[in-house]
Amino acid sequence: MKRISTINRLIGIMISFVLLIGIWECKQEALVYTTTSDTNITAYLDKYPESFSEFRKILDLTGTASYLNAYGAYTLFAPTNDAIKAYLVEKGKTTIDQVDVAELKDLVRFHLLSDTIRSNTFTDGKLPSLTMFGQYLITGAKNVAGITKVVVNRQANILQADITLGNGIIHVIDHVLIPAKFSVAQLIENNAKYSIFNLALKATGLYDTLNILPANNPITNRKFLTVLAESDSVLKAAGFKDYAALKAKYCTTGDPKSITDSLHLFMAYHILYDAKYLADIASSQSQTTLAPLEIVTSNLVGTTILINDVTFLGIHEPGAPLDRAASDNSATNGVFNSVSQHYILKIRKPVRVDWDVADQPEIRKLTSIFRKSTTTVSWTKTAGNPFVDIDWQDGAMAFGPVYSWSLTSTITRYMLYSDMLMLQSGGPNRVLWWEFRTPLIVRGKYKVWVGYRNQKQSGSSTNVNQILVDGVALPKLLEFTVARPVGTDAELEAQGWKQYSENADAVVGARLLGVIDIKTTDRHILRIQNISGTQNNNNLDLIQFIPINDDQVYPRFKPDGTLIPRP
Amino acid sequence: MIQKIKYLTLLAFTVMLTTSCNKWLELKPEDGIIRQNFWKTKEDVKSAVIGCYSSLLGPMAQTLFIWGEIRGDMVSSTITSTSEQIDIMNGNITSSNTITKWGTIYQTINYCNTVIDFAPQVLVTDKTLTEVDLNAYLAEAHALRGLMYFYLLRTFGEVPLQIKSTSSDNQLEQLAKSSQEDVYNQIIKDLTFAEANAVTTYNNHDYDKGRITRYTVNAIQADVYLWMEKYAECIDACTKVIGSGQFGLIAGKNPDGIVNSQWFNTVFYNGNSNESIFEFQFDSQQVNPFFSFLINTTKQFVGSSFVMDEMYTVDPLDDTNKDIRGDLSSIRGSDGLIWKFAGANNTGSVRTATSSYAHWFVYRYSDILLMKAEALAWTGKGQEALDLVKVIRNRANALPATEKAPDPISSVDVSDYIMEERAREFAFEGKRWYDILRNSKRNKYAHIQFLIDIVTKSAPSNRQQYILNKYKDIRSHYLPINLYELQTDKNLVQNPFYQ
Repeated sequence: MKRISTINRLIGIMISFVLLIGIWECKQEALVYTTTSDTNITAYLDKYPESFSEFRKILDLTGTASYLNAYGAYTLFAPTNDAIKAYLVEKGKTTIDQVDVAELKDLVRFHLLSDTIRSNTFTDGKLPSLTMFGQYLITGAKNVAGITKVVVNRQANILQADITLGNGIIHVIDHVLIPAKFSVAQLIENNAKYSIFNLALKATGLYDTLNILPANNPITNRKFLTVLAESDSVLKAAGFKDYAALKAKYCTTGDPKSITDSLHLFMAYHILYDAKYLADIASSQSQTTLAPLEIVTSNLVGTTILINDVTFLGIHEPGAPLDRAASDNSATNGVFNSVSQHYILKIRKPVRVDWDVADQPEIRKLTSIFRKSTTTVSWTKTAGNPFVDIDWQDGAMAFGPVYSWSLTSTITRYMLYSDMLMLQSGGPNRVLWWEFRTPLIVRGKYKVWVGYRNQKQSGSSTNVNQILVDGVALPKLLEFTVARPVGTDAELEAQGWKQYSENADAVVGARLLGVIDIKTTDRHILRIQNISGTQNNNNLDLIQFIPINDDQVYPRFKPDGTLIPRP
Repeated sequence: MIQKIKYLTLLAFTVMLTTSCNKWLELKPEDGIIRQNFWKTKEDVKSAVIGCYSSLLGPMAQTLFIWGEIRGDMVSSTITSTSEQIDIMNGNITSSNTITKWGTIYQTINYCNTVIDFAPQVLVTDKTLTEVDLNAYLAEAHALRGLMYFYLLRTFGEVPLQIKSTSSDNQLEQLAKSSQEDVYNQIIKDLTFAEANAVTTYNNHDYDKGRITRYTVNAIQADVYLWMEKYAECIDACTKVIGSGQFGLIAGKNPDGIVNSQWFNTVFYNGNSNESIFEFQFDSQQVNPFFSFLINTTKQFVGSSFVMDEMYTVDPLDDTNKDIRGDLSSIRGSDGLIWKFAGANNTGSVRTATSSYAHWFVYRYSDILLMKAEALAWTGKGQEALDLVKVIRNRANALPATEKAPDPISSVDVSDYIMEERAREFAFEGKRWYDILRNSKRNKYAHIQFLIDIVTKSAPSNRQQYILNKYKDIRSHYLPINLYELQTDKNLVQNPFYQ
C-alpha cells in the first residue's frame, strides 16, 4: 500500500512536470514570412490617406500600385491631395478618373525615377538620372519674402524630403510636376525676344536638329542638346539689327545650310551636346559644341558663369556671361539657356607652348620657396589632392611630386628657371601614373618634346614611361635614365633629340616623343604612365608642344628664362 | 517531527537573514562618493568647480571648432571628412545630423548648475568657508554657464533654459525652448553675478588663464553685448579689461625691428601668454581632440586656399616680410594644415599625438581691442575703431596688400574691415561663423549680403545657387535641434526652417 502510494506520488510528480514543461513549451513561435518589415512606397501612401489618397487613386488607375509595392529602388515625388486637386482644376476636371489614363501614366512616370536620390544630392541643375518619362527633373532653392524652399522643376516645393522606405525614397511635393511640351527649337521660336537667333536656326537647318524628340532621334549623342541663345538685344548690341545683318557678316559661302559656312559654324558653336543646365556648365571647364571639334570653355567667377573667358599667350580675353534669369528652361529634348553677350568662334593658329611643369599655382603660392629656396617641398594626397592641375595614382605609398630649385645643383642648374618636379614612379612602392592638365593648346598638329635631366638612382635603375595626351599614346617612350646623345643640332634632331637649354652638357636634353593631333582648342590631359623600372629621380623640367612646321630647336632657354633665338 | 522541521526551517531563515545580508542591502555605493557625503567642506566646493572646467577638456573644443568654422570660408574638407560634416558645409543641414547635438554643452551647464545649487549648503558644515569665497566659486560657475548659453544662443537661437541641476532621475525636466531674449537675459544675469563676485587673480599665472577671473567675465560680457548690439555696454566692458593693466599684446617684432621668433611659441604653442584671457588648458595628461581631427593623416579639415591667397597674402618681392599670423602660425601654406593647433614651432615641426595639447583660445586681449573697435564703429567713432585695428595690424606686421582705408564715417565699411582683421587674428579659433553672422544680422539683417557673399564663395560650383538661396532664409543661420533631443523632450519644438 505504501509502495503504491509512492509510485502514485512519483507519477503525480512526473505528470505535473510534463504539464509544466507543456505549458512553457507550447507558445506559438512567431514565424516571419516576409524578408523585411520595412514599409514600401504604396503601403506608405496607404498609411496617410489624408495626404495621398488622390495620388493613390492614380496609381490604381494606371496599374502601378503593385509595382511600387514590390522590391526596387525608386525615388517618388509624391504630390499631396491638394496638389492633385489644383491639377484637376487646371484641367477643368472634377475627379481623377475623368483624366485620360495614358496621360496619368505619363504623369506617374514623370514623378518617378529608378534610382534612390536623397535631397542632399540636389544641385542647382538636373537630377543625376532621368525620370521614367524620359525628361530630366531639375532642383533648386528659391527664396520668397525671406522664406527659402526647395523647388523641383520650378513647379513644386518640397514639403517633406527623404522619407526612406523599403523600396525607395519619397519626397512630398505641393504641386503636380508637368513635363515640358516643347522642343528646344520650339521654345526659342515661341519666344519673341530671340527672333533673329530663331531665323538663323531655321536658315542653317539647325532648327530641325533641335526639334527631334529623344525617342525619335537616330543619333544617340544628339538626343539631348543645349542651346546658348543670343537674344535680339544682345545681337543688336553687337551690331546686328536683324537677321540680314548677321547673314551678311558671317555667311561666307552663301549657303547657311552648308556645315562649312561660317554662319552655320557660328550657330553650331552655340549648341552644346547633352542637357546642360547652368549648374552642369559651371561644374565642368569645357563643353563640346556642334561645331566640329570646337569647344567653349566655362568658368564660374563669383556667381557669374563666363563662356570663353580664357588667357591665351598671356592675354586675358574676357568671357560672355550667361543670363541666369533667362536660362535653365527645360525642353523635351534639352535645355535652352541664354547668353547675355555676343560671342563667336575664334580662329586661332597653332602656336608653340613651352610648358614649365613646375610652374603650378599651388607652388607659386609658396613665395619663400618658388624659384627662391633650395628647400625641397613634397606633397601627398592625404588631405585631398593639393593640386588643381596635377593628379597621381592613389595608394598608401603614393608620394606626390617633389619641387626643387637650385642655381648651383648639378641637377637643376641648367634647367629652365633652375627648377623641376621630381616624379617618383614605378611599382610596387611608387605611383604608376601622373596626370597633368596642360595650358591652353590651339587645335593643330604638334611635335611633343619632354625636357629632363637624366639621372639614375642606382647603377641599374631604369624608368620607362609612355606619354598619353587625352588618352592617345605618343609613339616614343620617355626614359628618365637615358642621357641625350652628343652631336650637332641636325644630327640630334634626326635622332629625335635636342639641346633645349643654354648649356651643351648632355645630362640635360629634350626627347621628341612624336606628333600629336590636338583636336580641340582646350586644356588637355597629359598622362605619364610608367611601363617598367622604378626610381625616384625622374627629373622633369618642361614639356613643349611645337607646331610641326615651326623651328623645333630654337629658341633655347637660359636658366633665367631668357630665350636664345636661332643664331 | 513536523514541528521540529518547521522549527529548524525558521531557525535557518533567521540565521540567514541576520548574518549574511548586510553587504547586499547597503544602498550607498562603496567605491564612490554620493552627494549626501560630498558637499561638506570648502575643498569639496573647489573640486566641484574644477570639475566644471575639466568638463571643457573633452570633445567640446572639437564641437566649438565645427560650429564656429565649417559654415564659414576658412576651412576645407578633406578625403577623411565625414559625410555629416560635408552636408553642413554644403548647406544640407538636417536634424538627424549628429553635429547638431548639444549634449557636451549641457553637460557642462549641469555641472555648473550643481555647484550653484549645492555649494551654498557648505556654509553650514564648513565654518572656514567665507561668504566671499563661496561667492567667488559661484561666480566661476555662473560665468561658465553664461558662456555656455552664449554658445548655444549663437548656434541654435532658441534653446531650453536649464538652470536647476539634474541630480536624480525624478528631477529630469521636459523643458520647452526659451526665446532668444530670455536666454540673453539669463546670460546677463549670470554674468552680472559673476562680475560682482569673481576674483581678479588666483595669484597663479596658469589659474588666471584657465579659470574665470573678473576680466574673463568682462570679456564674455563684451562679446554678448556686441552680439545684442548694445555698443555702449560693450565698450564699457572692454574698457574694464583694458584698464586693468593685466593684459597686453605679445609683440610681433622686437624693438630693433627684427621679427619676434618666439611669438608663435609664446602665444599658441605654450599658451597662457600675457595676452590670453581665457583658455581651455589641455596638457600632456589631457590632450585636445585635435590630433586625429586636424593634424595626422586622418585630419578632417585643412585651411582653405583663401586663407593664404586673400586673407594673409604674401609679399611677392620679399618673402621674409610676412604677417606673423599667417604661414606657420595659423596655417601651413604648403598644404593648409591648421598650424595653430598642429604646429610644434614656427619652422615646420608638427605636434605628435602626445604633444597635441594646444590650448583652445576662448578670449585673447586682441579680441577685446577688436570688439571695442567694432562697437566704436557702430557708435560713430570710426576713426578710433580704425586706430585700434592699426594697433593689431602693426603688432602682427600685416601686409600692405590687406590694408584698406575705409571711410571712418561709414560704419558698414569700417566693420567689414574689422571682420577681415578678425579673420586674420582669430583664424581657426572657432569665431569665424559667429563673426559673419553677427556682422550680417546687425540692424535686422541690413547687411545679409556679407554672409551670402561668403557662403557662395566657398560653395561647390554646381550647388552655388542652391546654397545662396538657402542662406537668404535667415532662419537657416541657426542649427536645428537634434532629432534625439526632440524625441526625448516632447516639449521641444523644431526650429522653423527645419520643420
